[in-house]
Amino acid sequence: MPPIIEIQGLRKTYRRSFRQPHNALDGLDLEVAAGQVHGFLGPNGSGKTTTLRALLGLIRVDGGTMRIFGEEVPQRLPQVVSRIGAVVESPQFFKHFSGRLTLQLLAESAGVPKDRVEAVLEQVGLRDAAKASVKGYSLGMRQRLAVAQALLKQPQLLILDEPANGLDPAGIHHMRELLQWLAHEQGVTVVVSSHLLSEVQQLCDSMTIVSRGRRIVDGSVAEIIAGHSGASLSVRFPDAASLPEAAEALTAAKPTVGAVVERDRLVVTGAPEAAWVTQTLAEAGIYLSELVTQTKNLESVFLELTGTAPAPGQTVQIGQSVAVPETAAPIEVPVTVANEAEEAQR
Amino acid sequence: MNLFKAELRRIVRRRLSLIFGILALAGVVVLSGFIWAISSQGPSEAELAEAQEMADDWNMENPDYVDCIGEEDYFEDNEFYEWALTDPEYEELSHQERCEAYVGGSRASDYVWTYTFDFESEGPSMLLGVVIVAGLIMMMLASSAIGAEWSSGGMSNLMVWHPNRMQVWGAKLGAALALCAVAMIALAALAFGLLFLTAAVRGEVGTLDGPWWEETLEVLLRTGVLALGMTTLGASLAMLGRHTAIAGGVIAGYLIIGDLIVQMASMAMPMPFPERLSLYTWVIAWISGRIELTDWSDMGMNPDVMVITWGDAGLLLGGIVLLFGALATWSFHRRDAA
Ligand SMILES: Nc1ncnc2c1ncn2[C@@H]1O[C@H](COP(=O)(O)OP(=O)(O)OP(=O)(O)O)[C@@H](O)[C@H]1O
Ligand SMILES: [Mg+2]
Repeated sequence: MPPIIEIQGLRKTYRRSFRQPHNALDGLDLEVAAGQVHGFLGPNGSGKTTTLRALLGLIRVDGGTMRIFGEEVPQRLPQVVSRIGAVVESPQFFKHFSGRLTLQLLAESAGVPKDRVEAVLEQVGLRDAAKASVKGYSLGMRQRLAVAQALLKQPQLLILDEPANGLDPAGIHHMRELLQWLAHEQGVTVVVSSHLLSEVQQLCDSMTIVSRGRRIVDGSVAEIIAGHSGASLSVRFPDAASLPEAAEALTAAKPTVGAVVERDRLVVTGAPEAAWVTQTLAEAGIYLSELVTQTKNLESVFLELTGTAPAPGQTVQIGQSVAVPETAAPIEVPVTVANEAEEAQR
Repeated sequence: MNLFKAELRRIVRRRLSLIFGILALAGVVVLSGFIWAISSQGPSEAELAEAQEMADDWNMENPDYVDCIGEEDYFEDNEFYEWALTDPEYEELSHQERCEAYVGGSRASDYVWTYTFDFESEGPSMLLGVVIVAGLIMMMLASSAIGAEWSSGGMSNLMVWHPNRMQVWGAKLGAALALCAVAMIALAALAFGLLFLTAAVRGEVGTLDGPWWEETLEVLLRTGVLALGMTTLGASLAMLGRHTAIAGGVIAGYLIIGDLIVQMASMAMPMPFPERLSLYTWVIAWISGRIELTDWSDMGMNPDVMVITWGDAGLLLGGIVLLFGALATWSFHRRDAA
């Protein structure tokens, strides 16, 4: 099955008078497969919203190709737009209309049946607030209204830019269930950009991480995390006394391996694989009682990949995330970029 | 078509439309009511009698008038009034009337004031005013509907739904123009009805014959076209500036300050017919059909006359509207939506 969204080499340069032009998108690639929830991640200002805007024909781009449902966009957008629902960066609505009227006007303009309005209002939990004017809506209520308008068309592709922005815990939970239901039961393809990484980890099947207008990694969420978790193993022994001995045996076998005693366990980093640890220790006559591959969470992987992990006493400034060299081929999972020592070792 | 209907509804459902609509209706009703109140087909018997009494009272206080009444040959005997004898009307007047006319006595008509509304002669200009006001209101509504949608951010959202921008612009402009036409026709019809009724009951209708209808409808039609042009201009400026205030500011700014500056500059420059630089001249020429500008610079011997017909004015005003319309279309087509 061809990808639902295909973007290749997308470029967008903002030209500002008296200042250097700014490449918001610098040859960005993106592929989203059908029927998945796809996370679109990146530090602030990395070009996520710009990409989604370009995809929806809101801004012109300076290069690259984009396809949705196999159709060239933005040229063929009018033909496919009826199948796309989208929320682009906290959309605003005319303040003096009620939520219901806002949706009714959109539904009417596109020939969507009227009963969909009530259905989506119910779906996003705005049924009782539908009569009030948008002026009196809270941030989360506006966000819900935005999601409601995206759902109105019963789209086959749902593009949501930070949909969880401003939602309460119940709202986030509900949103997660809704999106997963849409993707896995209804076959809707969902693209979400989000900074709530624990949320993405739970919600998304696959993801793309971008930095400074370029893709740095893409693939399934589980694989990307797994690809970065081999770096750390937690080892326990029946007898805590063997901890220093084991550390010594491992570092002696391979100098690049790090082995640090942490209370009653040994944390091993830089080992090629778990089997190598068991074998080396067995050869040294030490038998372990437990070996756990420490799964990093998405947050630490993200920080590592984007190079935005905070150092003590420093703030990462916008635009300081890692830059991918132009010639670099897209990084395949599960290769790690950040740990060059490990790369050299192979 | 769906989009057009939705855009119509979007304008109609705005609170501002409701307010302006009520104000416009109230304006027409108040105008008719006012004319109803002041117009009459002439004083009643009682009013005349009362006025006559007041005139008589006043005359009794006037010694000259009393003398005049008391003496048959007052004018022949009094050398101050020799001029009155030469008046051609003198012979036709009764003695009392002579005293009223030449000595300054009061008449009943001095104490009753009557105004008779004449629909035939005064109706057309009132209808024209109503149509112009309707056009101005629709210009404001159109530019504010588009401007508010830009500044509220609703426009980007609409464009996500309708990526064909020309279709969006066409629907918005079409809805504004359609509403403008409906508003003008409705208000003009209401004003016609109320004023006609007022004239029939409290004034004079006059003869509304073929030529009257022809001329009136022609002027109203041209005024209506002007209003549609203003609506287009307002919508275009709002589209260009992406804000209501910009559209309103440019129009009001030009009509109030810009035109004044142009007029003052033209006075400083030695040029014939400086009035032709003012937009108002062309607007008046368009509405009234033609305007004649006279150049008195050679001291009134042989004044030059410049005639502006509605055709000339139509070319200029149409050109302005078209220019801004094209600019707005181009900019909407090209520019990134914020
Ligand atoms: N209208 C604009 N004019 C100039 N620069 C812009 C404009 N819009 C975006 N940019 C720039 O483009 C870059 C990408 O912005 P974008 O909004 O796509 O980031 P983002 O990934 O969505 O960030 P966030 O996580 O904060 O939402 C930023 O550096 C921003 O400064
Ligand atoms: Mg963004």
